[in-house]
Amino acid sequence: MPRWGRAGLVLWLVFAAMPAPAQEQKEQGTLISEVDMYVSPDVSSQKLARATRGRNVILVMEHTKMATREWAHVLVVVEVDLERQSERQISGWVPSSVLVTTATPNGDQIIYGEAVDSENQAEQRGGRRHADEDAMRLYYRLYEYFPNSPLAGEALWRAADIRWQREKVDSRLRPSFRETDPDMREGMDETTVKLVQKKFPHTKWSDLAAYDLIDNKLCGSWRGEIKCPEKESELYEKYAREHPQSPKAAEALYNAARRQAALVDMYRAGKENDKSEKAKRKSMELAQEIAARFADTDWGPQARELMYALQQGIPTYDVESKKPIS
Amino acid sequence: MLKRGKQSGLIIMLAVAATTCVAAEHGTVIRETALYLSANTNSQKLSPVERGRALTVLERSDSGGQPWVKVFMAADETARITREIAGWVPAQAVITAATANGDQIVFGQAVASERQAEERGGRKGAAQDAMRLYARVPDIFPGSPLAAEGLWRSADIRWQLAKADYLRSGSQMEERYLNEVIARYPQAKQAELAAYDLLEAKLCPEWRGLAECPEKESLLFEQYAREHPQSPKAAEALYNAAWRQAALADIYRIDNNMSKSEAARKKATALAQQIASQFPQSDWKQRATDLAYKLEKKIPVYGQVIE
Repeated sequence: MPRWGRAGLVLWLVFAAMPAPAQEQKEQGTLISEVDMYVSPDVSSQKLARATRGRNVILVMEHTKMATREWAHVLVVVEVDLERQSERQISGWVPSSVLVTTATPNGDQIIYGEAVDSENQAEQRGGRRHADEDAMRLYYRLYEYFPNSPLAGEALWRAADIRWQREKVDSRLRPSFRETDPDMREGMDETTVKLVQKKFPHTKWSDLAAYDLIDNKLCGSWRGEIKCPEKESELYEKYAREHPQSPKAAEALYNAARRQAALVDMYRAGKENDKSEKAKRKSMELAQEIAARFADTDWGPQARELMYALQQGIPTYDVESKKPIS
Repeated sequence: MLKRGKQSGLIIMLAVAATTCVAAEHGTVIRETALYLSANTNSQKLSPVERGRALTVLERSDSGGQPWVKVFMAADETARITREIAGWVPAQAVITAATANGDQIVFGQAVASERQAEERGGRKGAAQDAMRLYARVPDIFPGSPLAAEGLWRSADIRWQLAKADYLRSGSQMEERYLNEVIARYPQAKQAELAAYDLLEAKLCPEWRGLAECPEKESLLFEQYAREHPQSPKAAEALYNAAWRQAALADIYRIDNNMSKSEAARKKATALAQQIASQFPQSDWKQRATDLAYKLEKKIPVYGQVIE
């Protein structure tokens, strides 16, 4: 059970990143159910560890049949410590039935299906514990071991997004979360999201990854500072212009319009009526664009509601509490 | 004569009341406000007016350079029979049938409120706001293309909230709002979605390892899929039926009833294959493939971990 140091991990990552032909002879994969690992192919032998769904089976060393059951001797990564850049590997025996490898027919679909199932579990009240982590690992394994699958792009994106959302929840607990300047706080790790952009450029998945990345550039809290909604509106509008086909284009435009609407109230409170009027026009333009381009989505009616609020002078930002009115 | 006269007087009164009813302008608010005793923010506040509350407009007036509306509203919106109270609200946030694009504005605020309800730390009561606002779309704008969707979303939010209450306190879930969707829009997608929600009321709260529950539930889901082949929930229903058959295979095996276990396994496999071929563009195909693989490899899906 070697604990890999930093150099070890780097070497392993280089090895994992080697071109596909070098890996083709090796059978690799993952587990689609939680299982015990044994010293030998026998349930009465010593248990080594409990391996969870999506664990990285970096090598299948041997297959054997004991009584009526098929077993596989595998090398599994059971623990990855990103901060210490170390990982722990265990070799042992698992029932072959739960092992899906590069040699399994429809292996990509089976792993993807198990990942969707885990994601669904994670969303359910009282769902399986750590199901989100299972889903994240399973999606990543699909991309890793079936890079040519039609599901690979979506799987990598879903893995990256689950990681991102988990980190976002964690980041909200940190004291630095409310920092106005995004540079003053520790953001979410961008590695996997950027990998989506690199591996699947000009796809829907790349567009979605770019949208997640905006989170790291937003103010934690506006605290009444005009520069926050101004900058954020620019960021969202830029995204919508650069990714017009993105499933997030309408949401980005709406977020830009909402921020301009907040600026109307902020400038008005500061008695900068010209700037307030300009922000109102900008917000109206953006909302009209959404209503015209995305009329058949939920964003169309939301844009109409915003336009009505702007026309009627209904505030969207509470200057006293320094918070947007939701 | 007196009697007759009285009767005709009553008829006239009812006719007048009906005319008033027809002419009454119905509306709602898209921002929380207060009901004031008079058209003045310094006057006494009679009641809060939450987003989506049903209002009947009685009168309009300008006061202090601001437009006001006198309205009637139920004192207790949750009571079946309640007294009504009248008062004034600022006209800014009042949407009525006369408001241009009013259906979209109310629906838009309902969507925004629903998003708030889904957000961590979102506005308190946002789910109830969304539920009321969606319901107002068919109420105020019955001819709107958003009416069916509004009625369905309102009924669904109510159902989900009732489900959470049921899980907490065992209180009964009311079906009439979902049934109203089916009655008013029988041919629409929304009726199929409402019918799917209603299945939940027929499911066992707990299986307790008995075959009876998954047997019954599998039939219910399969029947739904057969009766609603175009429903957005058809694939999910078939998957639920297949998964329950897979669970039955395990339950019967644990009971040493191998023939029933095998029959359930075959049934689950057939349903999973049907999903994979009938819904190739959805996530359900991969979930069905995963389930079929587990059935083939005899990986338990219910009540037993892999040793």
